[in-house]
Parts: sequence; C-alpha cells; structure tokens
Amino acid sequence: MMVMKFCVVGSAAALVVFLFSGTANAAENSLETGQAIYKRANCVGCHKWHGDGGGGYGGAALSLRKTELEKPQIMETVKCGRPGTGMPYFSRDSYPSDDAPQCYGLTSKDLETMHVAQAGVFLRPGEIEAVADYVISSIKGKGDPNLADCVAFFGEDSKACGVYKSGGHHELPTPSTTQ
Amino acid sequence: MERGISYPYGRSSKSTRRFYVGGTALLLIFATAAFADDAPSVGPKAETPIVAKSPETTTQRLLDADKEQQNWITHHKTYNAQRFSTLDQINAGNVKGLKVAWTMQLGGVEGGGIWSHGGLEGTPIVEDGFMYVTDGWGSVYKVDTHGGLGRLLWKMDPKTDHDWAGAVACCGVDNRGVGLYKDLVISHTLDGRLIATDKETGQVKWQRQVADPDKGEVVTGAPLIVKNMAITGVAGAEYGIRGWIAATDLDTQKEMWRTFTLPKKGEPGSETWSGTNSEETTGGGSTWVTGSYDPISNTILWGVGNPGPDWDNAYRPGDNLYTDSSLAVDADTGKIKWHFQHTPNDPYDYDSVAENVLVDVDGKKIALEADRNGFGYAVDRTDGRFLWATPFVKKVTWTKGIDPETGKPEEYDAKKQVQVYNPEATPVRSREITDICPGNMGGKNWPPTAYNPLLKTWYVPVIESCNRITIKPETKANKPRDFFTGGGPSQPFRITGSVTAIDVTTGKVVGKHETPYPNLAGILATPDLVFSGEPSGQVYALDAKTLQRLWEFNTGGGVNAPPMTFSVDGKQYVAILVGMGGAWDKWFIDSTPELKKVQPGSTLYVFAL
Repeated sequence: MMVMKFCVVGSAAALVVFLFSGTANAAENSLETGQAIYKRANCVGCHKWHGDGGGGYGGAALSLRKTELEKPQIMETVKCGRPGTGMPYFSRDSYPSDDAPQCYGLTSKDLETMHVAQAGVFLRPGEIEAVADYVISSIKGKGDPNLADCVAFFGEDSKACGVYKSGGHHELPTPSTTQ
Repeated sequence: MERGISYPYGRSSKSTRRFYVGGTALLLIFATAAFADDAPSVGPKAETPIVAKSPETTTQRLLDADKEQQNWITHHKTYNAQRFSTLDQINAGNVKGLKVAWTMQLGGVEGGGIWSHGGLEGTPIVEDGFMYVTDGWGSVYKVDTHGGLGRLLWKMDPKTDHDWAGAVACCGVDNRGVGLYKDLVISHTLDGRLIATDKETGQVKWQRQVADPDKGEVVTGAPLIVKNMAITGVAGAEYGIRGWIAATDLDTQKEMWRTFTLPKKGEPGSETWSGTNSEETTGGGSTWVTGSYDPISNTILWGVGNPGPDWDNAYRPGDNLYTDSSLAVDADTGKIKWHFQHTPNDPYDYDSVAENVLVDVDGKKIALEADRNGFGYAVDRTDGRFLWATPFVKKVTWTKGIDPETGKPEEYDAKKQVQVYNPEATPVRSREITDICPGNMGGKNWPPTAYNPLLKTWYVPVIESCNRITIKPETKANKPRDFFTGGGPSQPFRITGSVTAIDVTTGKVVGKHETPYPNLAGILATPDLVFSGEPSGQVYALDAKTLQRLWEFNTGGGVNAPPMTFSVDGKQYVAILVGMGGAWDKWFIDSTPELKKVQPGSTLYVFAL
C-alpha cells in the first residue's frame, strides 16, 4: 500500500509535503481514496484508466479529460447515471419506489419502461464525492495521457505504461507451476 | 523477443516417474524452484498413485485424430474442425440419465484492464484420460480423469500482466485452450505469449512473445499444431492492428512464417484499399479463432476478421482484402493460395474469423463457414470457388441475399468504392443511427459449429439478433492501444438464439431449435445427439435429427464454452467449462437483461451416465 501511495504522490517533493503537512496529507488521502474508488467501481471499464473514454465496442464513453462538468454535476452523474446510455447509477437509493425521487424526477416505476443502467457496485455519498474530487483534480482538463499519468495510476512496474516509454522492451513474466 | 529457458529434463527419467496427488485442492503444494531439477517427490503422501503416463503426441496421431475415439487431442477434435465424436455410449436412448460425474473449480475470474472479470471459453483437450484446460488468463490445468474422478495434477500460471493485456482485449479475458506436441502442452496468453509446458511436470520449457499488446495485439485462440509448428492467430482489429497468422517451429522456437491479412502497398490485394489510408492507418483482419488443416493439399484454412474502423467504411474505400475472408495458406510457407471474401468493404463488423469446417460430400471437397453476416457458406476448398450460401438466422436486413453465381451480396457493386448494400440497414456517415440484422455480434460468433458426417448435417450456434449502430466517423489515424471503431453498437432489441441445422447436400436449413438467449457456447455432435449450452446456465442435448431437447442440466453459471466428449476406463463423459466471459455481459447485456443476474464463475463440469 505504501508503494502505491508514493506512486500517487509521484515525486519526492510531494512526498515531503505528504509527510509534513497535515492539510496536504488529508487531500492526498482523499485523492488516493478517489483513485481507489475509480478502480473498484470499474470506471476504468469504459472511461479507461486515463479517463479519456473514447470509442469502444460498446459505444463511446465520454472523455473525463475533456469534460466541462463541474464537481456537483459529476457527482450527480455518478449518483444517478445517464438514462439511455451505458453510464450506470452508483447510489443504491437513486431510484426509490416512493414518490420522493432523487434523480431526474424518476422513481423505480419509471425504470420499468426506460433504461438506466445499474452499477455493479454501489457507492456511499462520501465515496461519490471522493471519486468526483479525483476526476476534477487528476483527470479533468489534462491533455493526452503520458508516462507520469500512467505511473501515477498503475505504479512504476506496470507494463501498461511501457507504451509511453521509448524502446519499451518487456521482460517476459516468469510462469509458475503448482503441483 | 525470445527467451529460451534451459530445462534439464532427461527423457529417460520420465518412464520411472510417478505422480502422487493430494485428495483435495487444499493439499496442493507449491513447487519451489521453478526450473530446478526433476525430483519426483513433490506432493504429499499418496492417496492415489497414478501410474499411467501421458503419451507423445506425434504428427501422425494428430493426422489420425479421428481414429482415437476416446480422445480429443486437437482444438476442433480433428483437423477438419468437424467437432464430431463417434462415441455413442451416451445416445438418444439414454441421454435422459446423464448426470454430473464430477466438477472442478478453476481460477482466473479476476479482472484487469477494462474487464471486471475473466471467463471460460476453452475446449478441454483429452489424451488417454488426461485433460488439459485453460482459464481466461491462460493458466493451464492438467486433470487426471481416471477412476470416475477429476484430480488436478498441476497448474501452470503464466503470470499474465492483467492491466497491460486487459486494457486492449476488445472482448473479454478469454483463452480457448491448448494444443499438444510430443511431450509438450502448447498454450497462448492474453499478453501475446506462446508457451510450451512439459506435460508431465507442468514446468514451462520455453516461452516466446508472438504478439505485442503495446500495439493492441492480444491472443485468445488455441494454437493449431501442424507438423512441428504452432499456428497462432491474433486479436486487436478494434485497436487498429494489422492482422496476421504466424507459425512457430516448436523444436527451435523460431518463427517459420508470418502472413499478414492486410497486404502492403504493391502486394496483391492492396488494390482493394483505394483510399489514402494505408493498412497501418486502418488496420483490421484479426485471426483469433483457431483454423483447420487439410493435410492432402497441405493447406491451412483460417478465418479473417473485419477491417478497421469497424463501422465507418467510408474511411477505407475498396473491398479491403483479406478482411472478412476465409484464407487458404500453404502450411509450410504461409503463402496465400486462395481467398473467399464474404462482406466486401464491411460496414457492419461482420467478421469472418469463424472456423472453416472441411467436409467431403457428393464428391465435392467443401469448406463450410458460418459467417457473422448471418449466412452459411460452402466453397470448394481446392480453389475457393463459391458453391452456395444460405441464411441461418431468422432475420437478415443488410442484404436481399447472396448472389448464387458470385457469392457476393446481391447489392454488391464492383464499381463502387464504398458499398451500401441495403441502404436502410447499412451504417453510413450521412446518418447517425442504423439498425442492422444480424447485430454486430452476428449471426454466429466464435462459438464453433459441428458437423455430423453420418447425417451430412451441419449445426450452427446462432445469435438471433438485431442491434443499433451509431456512426462516429474517424478523421485521424488510429493510435496504438486506442479503440478505433468508427462508432459503436447499442442494444435496444431483445436477442435470442438457436441451434440451426443445415443439410450440406442441399445447402438448406432443415431445423431450428430456438432458445431464449443467444448461443454463446458452440456445438458438439455425436452420432445421434447434439450438445450445447446457454448463457443462462443450461447444458443440453438435442436429438440430432429432430433437434428435440432430450436432456438438460442447469450448471448455475453462464455457459460460454463448447462441450466436448471423451472416454476413459471404457466410459464416456461429456465435459464443458462454465463461467461467463467474453464481451456479452459488458457490451451486449441490455439485449438479454435477465442475464445480468448471472455471476462470474470458473468451473469444469463433467457428465456421465
């Protein structure tokens, strides 16, 4: 876990800040949590690790790097999903059966006739905020993904970042046999 | 890119080896030094000594695989890819009594890259009672099936890099099985390696990087072993790769040949790419389904996938050879002998990766191919000449039909650079949304057909489908590891399935067994039965003539792999891997909403009377 933490911080200078500043510590913790939620909730599945989304076999997921949404709108989209698209809702209570709708004025009854995808994992409100913070600070407004972005996501050793390195020659993994 | 691993393994020591295997998976012990010496006493004390030893898989045995009734030693059972077993202990008269004999939990369900979980799509290989299966991440399991039980002898985990490969696997974390060569088990990994594992010990003798995920290439198919070669196909057309088929010499680990499925400028076929975009900016022509082999003409037949970008055919004017084609290549050189293209300038993602089934009927040497575009094709396999085509799906909208003379779609116009076919049902840049039937998964996808030579009947695992294509024209060249599809599908329509029977003597559909969900499993044929499975969990047997369902068992998981049959200790078994993988539950699930309840899993089921 510590290794991951250092990778997220990404530089020795930031590491010093991380170690000595309580405020930065909290912020970095939140970002780390946000990134972990981004992975666990499988945002990667459509938006990819870099958030750029793009074409896909299941249609295009919007680019979070190019998005113009602000934090409240991102939180709403995560919570409520986007009806008629592949973007699922991540809050268990988004579409209640009573007439106190949480999202777009819709209740569970409306979902019988219109399509809103349901996420594979539900997130709590704090988790939705953390993942929105992560998108705002680490993805939104960034240019093309680069090696530093990739290492911040996967860690130093990942082959997934080889494509951003020059002459990225890979050692073959060592298989292991159990008997 | 090659790395040989020296492995001091004297053949003489093998004859005296005995394996001792613990009675439960909990007792399995990790081998310590991976490539160290060959000390035989690796396991806990014997509960069951296994005295039998796996035989050498020779070229002659592979050529004569049909004569080994008890075995299944190559991916499609025999080189002709008929997936027909002559075993008849289990038959139409007694199949009602088929029960679970044993099961085994496998691994590989974990996700990676854009995938939340892996699945099972493999065909088990069985040689004299020893079974070899793979999971989605390429682990190979050797299972002893003697004595009415399944005992895991070893598991080889190739330590596939999940994020690297999983990010560019277009359609799931999948591996369709192994090949056998002499004393080796030959397998692929999603991250593009070809691995040779010692049959007896499970130790890796060598591995070689064949495909490169840095370019968007991954490997999901089982290797085809021909002579001293392993033939590898590649996936990645959705990421703009230039497809190929490659042959590796299994004795020297050197590449014998690599035949690209998209010609370079100046090569034959390049005239069918008439736009300014080259094979590098377009890409396509994946080869991710194991092909077949005709030893008499020394020809490998292999299916070729769609061009990229999938749905934007104005990006790539011309017929786009050899995409959407069946390809016949010389086994020794890889040189293309002939091709037959099904959907020129494909605007639908109707690839032709499907296996070619080699049958001899009425003196004709035929190659059968059930295409994603919804038609079953027969061509003369000596020269690729078209014989007939018949729709095996209930609904086709993209074309009025296949011209009985040319084998091309009726609307095909050789003078046009961008084909439109039926304009109402063809994605075009001028209209954002188009509904197509069959949907872009087909028709028929990778799950294999089977052919019963006694009945001269061909059984197709069908996805009865339409779906909606939203065009997003591509304006730039593709970038490595980025999706390059020119749009994408969505699923406003319910999708069902069938097993559809075609009489190969007439080319006509003679039966259809309809199912509530698409057939994502594939078919096994025996003298009077047809076996298949459903993504909702059922494994079932049909009467080969009437297609009436005679038996079923619900495995409780999603069936996404083909059944096979074998015999050991004189008793016949049916085996199938169960665990939903592939692209369905990620991209296509809205067409079958009930299947959202199917959980990932990884189980080997074996049935017996």
